[in-house]
Amino acid sequence: MDYYFILAQLFNGLILGSLYVLLSLGLTVIFGTLGVVNFTHGALYMLGAYATYTVVTLLHLHFLLAILICPILVGLIGILLEKFLISKLYRLPHFYNLLLTFGIMFFIQDAIKIIYGPEGEPFNIPSFVRGSVNLGFMLLPKYRLFIIGMTGVLASGVWLFIDKTKLGAIIRAGTDDSEMADALGINISRTFTLVFGMGAALSGIAGVIAAPIQDVQPLMGMNFLVETFVVVIVGGMGSIRGSILAGLIVGELVTLGIIFWPPLSTTLIYIFMAIVLIIRPRGLMGRAAFFE
Amino acid sequence: MILVAGLFLLLLPFLTPYKSLASQMLIFAIFAIGYDIVFGFTGLLSFGHAAYFGLGAYGAGLSLIHLSVPAVVALLIGILISVLAALPIGYLSIRRRGIYFAMTTMAFAQMLYFIAFKWRALTGGDDGLHGVPRPPLGPIDLGSEVTLYYFILFFFILSVVLGIRIIHSPFGKTLECLRENEQRARSIGYNPTKFKLISFALSAFFAGLAGGLYALLQNFVPLFSLHLDTSGDIVLMTLIGGKGTLYGPILGAMALLFLKDLLTSHINIWPLFLGLLFVISVMTFRKGVFKELKEKLFKS
Repeated sequence: MDYYFILAQLFNGLILGSLYVLLSLGLTVIFGTLGVVNFTHGALYMLGAYATYTVVTLLHLHFLLAILICPILVGLIGILLEKFLISKLYRLPHFYNLLLTFGIMFFIQDAIKIIYGPEGEPFNIPSFVRGSVNLGFMLLPKYRLFIIGMTGVLASGVWLFIDKTKLGAIIRAGTDDSEMADALGINISRTFTLVFGMGAALSGIAGVIAAPIQDVQPLMGMNFLVETFVVVIVGGMGSIRGSILAGLIVGELVTLGIIFWPPLSTTLIYIFMAIVLIIRPRGLMGRAAFFE
Repeated sequence: MILVAGLFLLLLPFLTPYKSLASQMLIFAIFAIGYDIVFGFTGLLSFGHAAYFGLGAYGAGLSLIHLSVPAVVALLIGILISVLAALPIGYLSIRRRGIYFAMTTMAFAQMLYFIAFKWRALTGGDDGLHGVPRPPLGPIDLGSEVTLYYFILFFFILSVVLGIRIIHSPFGKTLECLRENEQRARSIGYNPTKFKLISFALSAFFAGLAGGLYALLQNFVPLFSLHLDTSGDIVLMTLIGGKGTLYGPILGAMALLFLKDLLTSHINIWPLFLGLLFVISVMTFRKGVFKELKEKLFKS
């Protein structure tokens, strides 16, 4: 095996891993704080991509503007969902919210199919990041570099926000003991709504960034949904660092799998998950006390 | 009540728009009985039960094609494969509670879906497994849809009887106890893992049977049998019908299939409607339509 080839593939794995990390951020934040398994994650991701398509192709605005506006739009939709539907079910066993978000996902996906049509829309890499960069051992498309960069910025941003800011501390308090936080005067329901909106916005921005390289079609979220859940499970649900680590590992696994044993490449993810579950059920960085 | 039900079931193929819909309704009702045992009675939300349905279907289908066994033997093979898979998957999934359990079962089902997708030589990939025969049952030819319906009906009745026996037994009561308060059950001396695993395997039994019958019915096994949406379908059928009742999921499965057929023949927005149904039933009809109906109509 050529040394440069392996290095190039490891780098490709990093890129795929970044995409997984990006996708898992929204899911982890919501699950870590609210305990809600957000199946609409895939649909919100898709909405982010469609919003990008609408903003860039139909309204002729710049892609960077889309990165700013679209996540906010998707975040708003998330806030509405939380306020009117999801929050009503917090007192019930968590699987009710799982089922609710599962249903909402179907609804959103089909609604987009009805509005935009089932075939999907073409969307190209924006002109300011077209072309490649010569890294010596491989030619890397500029957009891939952009993805890694954006993911790094977002992941560290989210982590810093949760870990270092006062609002982040409130969120962490709400996660640990929402009743106590409520008793101390913190408006927990507003905090939870905000967190859900944040998670939705993260899913949305993943969609924006993925739009140039994934087919923009109503069911695009389904392609990644289960793998994203696996990344979050393996990383430890609720742990941002865990998702980052797991996302990168999974990205590398899949890429290396495609080279060395193509038929099994996607299945490798699940085998890895099974191994992690046997050795360390809480995930790589999960908190043991977090399970129901 | 039983007479009415019996009559209804006997005449069902003639009441539905096309004969095989009646068979499908029974098949998913069998699937739902098993699912209610693990979800309604044991309280475990498995989100990957399509795996056992699919394994039953592929198992039976493959043995019919390659081993030319009689239909009943094929069904048994399908069930065996399904249960054998359920044991390790169940064991690994049960180690985690609540939501984690659901996600793990989903991931394993997805794994099986991808294996089936890639292993074209065995399963036909996304074309599905074609050419599943319907060997005659002794002198009876199963070629006619109506005859096949009564064959399936036999297994349906068997499943209902089995389901009732399981539920109304000390084992069944233990499952309910586990659902309500696992720590209490453990403190009395019941091993939760053992009971959960058995419950899971039993539900795979019914799912596998349903899958095998499905292969016979369609003469073909679609890859969709292993898909997440199929897992979602069975959860919805059980939930809407009324989990933890046995009759609820049976009726829920039949009603949902009938509704799906009715709707899709007119307009192509089934997922929208399905999503709406999920949302409404989770937000309001949490007990399940049929359970609510029963409680209102038979107020004692």
